[in-house]
Amino acid sequence: MPSALLIGKNGAGKSTILSALKLLKCIGRGDNRNSQLVSPKDFSAARTEVPIRFEIEVLIQEKRYKYSVSLELPEGFRELRVLEENLQVEGESIYSREQAQVTLAAQKRAAQFLVDWHLIALPVIQEQSETDPLHIFKTWLARMIILAPVPSLMTGESQEETLQPNQDGSNFSEWFSGLLSRYPAAYKRVDSYLQTIMPDISDIQNELIGRNAKSMVVRFEKNGTYLSVDFKDLSDGEKCLFLCSVVLAANEYYGPLFCVWDEPDNYLSLAEVGHFVKALRRSFKDKGQILATSHNEAAIRQFSHDNTFFLDRKSHLEPTLSRLLSDINIQGGLIDNLILDEISL
Amino acid sequence: MRLNKYQDSLLVLPEDDANRQLAVGFSVNLNVKENAIQVLNEVGGWSKAVDSLEKTYSHILRKYTKMRIVLLIDFDQRDDRLAYVQQRIPDELRDRVFILGVQSEPERLKASLRKGLEAIGESMADDCANDTDEIWGHVLLNHNRAELARMIRTVKPFLLE
Repeated sequence: MPSALLIGKNGAGKSTILSALKLLKCIGRGDNRNSQLVSPKDFSAARTEVPIRFEIEVLIQEKRYKYSVSLELPEGFRELRVLEENLQVEGESIYSREQAQVTLAAQKRAAQFLVDWHLIALPVIQEQSETDPLHIFKTWLARMIILAPVPSLMTGESQEETLQPNQDGSNFSEWFSGLLSRYPAAYKRVDSYLQTIMPDISDIQNELIGRNAKSMVVRFEKNGTYLSVDFKDLSDGEKCLFLCSVVLAANEYYGPLFCVWDEPDNYLSLAEVGHFVKALRRSFKDKGQILATSHNEAAIRQFSHDNTFFLDRKSHLEPTLSRLLSDINIQGGLIDNLILDEISL
Repeated sequence: MRLNKYQDSLLVLPEDDANRQLAVGFSVNLNVKENAIQVLNEVGGWSKAVDSLEKTYSHILRKYTKMRIVLLIDFDQRDDRLAYVQQRIPDELRDRVFILGVQSEPERLKASLRKGLEAIGESMADDCANDTDEIWGHVLLNHNRAELARMIRTVKPFLLE
């Protein structure tokens, strides 16, 4: 399923899924202190006696990786501790852990050692090489792109380069610089996408404004006349289109990537939403995977029942349920049913 | 609208959600040029699709002379459906309007092929791009042969890789 959509009422749990993925991404990037990742308020329905469990299963290079970590808050503890942690590849354990005891499965014999139970083990176990499943999985987690852009924070200014975009898009220009610095040919992809939606775009410049600081300027051209616009002065929707162009280029040049975009239709005109979502779906068709959430019917219509998950829960004290629309009996049109709140699990 | 209305392009008007999903599958196929096709909102029935053509899209087709439209409707086992719809198309637009659909309804096609609707739509696009009839030759679709051939002749140059 190269692309999928999550829909559901407000409070159904869509953003919680994003939060969980963000936690796993942080673990992949090396954040491992439990208190930095999870707090007691994150327990479901404030039930601190029931451990929190994060689990993810992914196919990387045609191998199935399964990772899980459970955290508990025993009575008297102020910080969560690890209860269990496991990484398996194709059903074989890479390492397993119960509280502080880690068992690392090696080819001939297992190694055991202790890790502070206030720390997640995945970031601290030494990788043997770039082909080590530990390295492959951590890299996959770290490269996850999670987006819920706030265009007003996308200023176009940068002082560094990165391949790690912030969720709010605030370091978009650092990401743009980082992408082109490492993969100069990626500009072609960025430009080809932007040309289809802004035919009058001429080029994008990253001007030096200080010792290490740059500022993006977008130039438009018509009939030989040029107009330069600071990136920060573009509209919110235009900034999102630029963000999309970099997502597409990133997936093409250093993917396959797993991208999660919360409501990609935000800030876009009605005429643009369908094409935008379709472009994302097509770009991730052969490489990578994109997961979107939406309340927008134009975006929802770009998916089918075979790749749209409906999320639902009866109350804030009950767990979120999810099901593919193709597994739900829906009478009549999907959009009408959503508007009338006729779908439930 | 990203579709360039002044250049060759194809609108797809599905009668219902199931046909919409077929159209979505067709449009996300990488053999289909992204900016040459737009899937419109489903209209809630084959007769409403024809009404929409008469009242809304005829006007658009007259204004944008390079635009075409295909109505994706259920034939409900009616042999006369195509002829009935065709006689409601204005004469001057007849060569730019196409009528295609499942002989009964998409759900039956889905059950027969054991594939999702979007996947079927993608396979339809593959057939069109590759001049094959793995899907279009199905008993529930082969009644479209003549109309499909007419459409492919005109849209392939700008729509398909």
